[in-house]
Amino acid sequence: MQSRVDTIAAITQSNTQTNNSQGSLWRISAIARNTFREAVRDRVLYNLVLFVLLLTAAAIFIGELSGGQERKIIVDLGLSAMLLFGVFIAIFVGVGLVYKEIERRTIYAIFSKPVGRGEFLVGKYLGLCLTLLVNVIVMGLGVSLALLYVKKGWDPLILTIWPAVLMIYMELMLITAFALLFSSFSSPALSALLTFCIFIIGHFSADLKSLASSLGSTSARLLFGALYYLLPNLSNYSFITPAAHGRAPSAAFVFSTGLYAVVYIAVILAAATLVFSRRNFK
Amino acid sequence: MNRQTIYLSFVLVAGMAVTVLVARSIDARRPPPDPNAIDESLYLNPNTARRVSLGFNGLVADWYWMRSLQYVGRKIVNTPEDVPIDSLQQLNLKLLAPLLDTATTLDPDFADPYEYAAVVLPAVDVDAAIRILRKGIDTTPSAWRLYHHLGYIHWQQKDYAAASEMYRRGSEIPGSPQWMSAMVAKMAAEGGSRNTAREIYKRMQDESADEKVKDMAQRRLMQLDSLDHRDILRKLMTEYKTRVGQCPTTWKEILPVLRSLRIPVDQSGAPLDPTHVPYQLRAGACEADLDSKSEVLRQ
Repeated sequence: MQSRVDTIAAITQSNTQTNNSQGSLWRISAIARNTFREAVRDRVLYNLVLFVLLLTAAAIFIGELSGGQERKIIVDLGLSAMLLFGVFIAIFVGVGLVYKEIERRTIYAIFSKPVGRGEFLVGKYLGLCLTLLVNVIVMGLGVSLALLYVKKGWDPLILTIWPAVLMIYMELMLITAFALLFSSFSSPALSALLTFCIFIIGHFSADLKSLASSLGSTSARLLFGALYYLLPNLSNYSFITPAAHGRAPSAAFVFSTGLYAVVYIAVILAAATLVFSRRNFK
Repeated sequence: MNRQTIYLSFVLVAGMAVTVLVARSIDARRPPPDPNAIDESLYLNPNTARRVSLGFNGLVADWYWMRSLQYVGRKIVNTPEDVPIDSLQQLNLKLLAPLLDTATTLDPDFADPYEYAAVVLPAVDVDAAIRILRKGIDTTPSAWRLYHHLGYIHWQQKDYAAASEMYRRGSEIPGSPQWMSAMVAKMAAEGGSRNTAREIYKRMQDESADEKVKDMAQRRLMQLDSLDHRDILRKLMTEYKTRVGQCPTTWKEILPVLRSLRIPVDQSGAPLDPTHVPYQLRAGACEADLDSKSEVLRQ
């Protein structure tokens, strides 16, 4: 509750201090900062991060059953846990971002100030992305420490896991955008379910392309081809397995996937703003 | 502390104690596990496993790999005699091929399952071993080790021409070691010789990251050394027989020759095998046999 009061206070302050063009950025930044502050106060978040760090520590012992593959197990288990729990955080925190404001009626106080619906959603989105960034950095450091411990010194894998961590973060940013889109028009439970479905479909969407090319009917080929381009292709961000073998993606590939994520997120947030603008909060 | 807290604490402690006792009693009455239970077929074929693993295929591959190790390990532990990992045909390891196939389909760059497929699997299902290695070569043709493993399988099957071809293809890959080129000619010219076998096991011992494979290679090298020792001893005894008219009845009779050839002997003058156990003299036959306590492989 305190953070919501902070949000309103920060927005009020930003409005008095700045002109219109700068004001929008200030308002988004104020909402983002307070969303981050609110998430950091959430104990569930700490528990999830702690659980990932415990899993990474457990990977050291599980690795002993792998016939000399301890480092691979640590990277696979650590980064997979980072992705899975990151998705949980993105979904369960993401779907509550808007809903909590509506349920506690603080959204009426926020929109009584000159805050746009889009500014509100983008601020909320960036706040959660900042939280996820801190989380993946903490989890990545945990995996690096586990590698240092197992190798009893410097391990080149410590460097090669970070591009994979960046790819995981981009995937989480996409998932968060979907969570926000669904939460802008449906209940938290349904939003969580739909977002989780997107996560699963996103990892299968590459199969749609091969399915489209293997079909005889032109209309079916067009349909599956269109679905492939419409749905997010999250398998682009699966770089955990190559990272465990010490392989990093090329800079061009990281740039392309980054660009894809930015454009896709912009589209999703625009759609979320369109839907959210039609809701009545007066 | 109020009365309710005391009662609840008592229930907590006593309840846990009773639970432990009941669990022990259940364990004592549990029927022995069905030895065939672990041999049930896998639910998922490798391609399905890859599809349903979402972005976690590396982790699932690790799980299948550890499952293969546990599967073989459990069978070895339940076998009374000591068997090297490249002669496990009597253990009925029918799940090993699908487990390794799934692990390598999920993570085609995972080197250890290929090595395991080359070393352990041929004794169980040589066709499956060749299929897994060929699949690996198709997926990552730049991995020279896969050619080495497939060459090893062909060499074991005494198909020296195919083994030589594999080493040739592997030696053409940039970054492959020099000895791969040397193996091409060696396989073609003297594939069945002890020298070739020694070279293969030495490379396996040097290159493998798996302690069990290193141990197997070391035991095979000791076996080759012991075969060489016994050839020398047989020759010495035959020469003795030519000179004296009969085979030696004790090792002491040829001790000076053994010492001059720097063959290690024990206090009684008996030559020692690579595991430091004295060879047994087969009196009247001019033959040296391994002692029953020797750990040198017999097959």
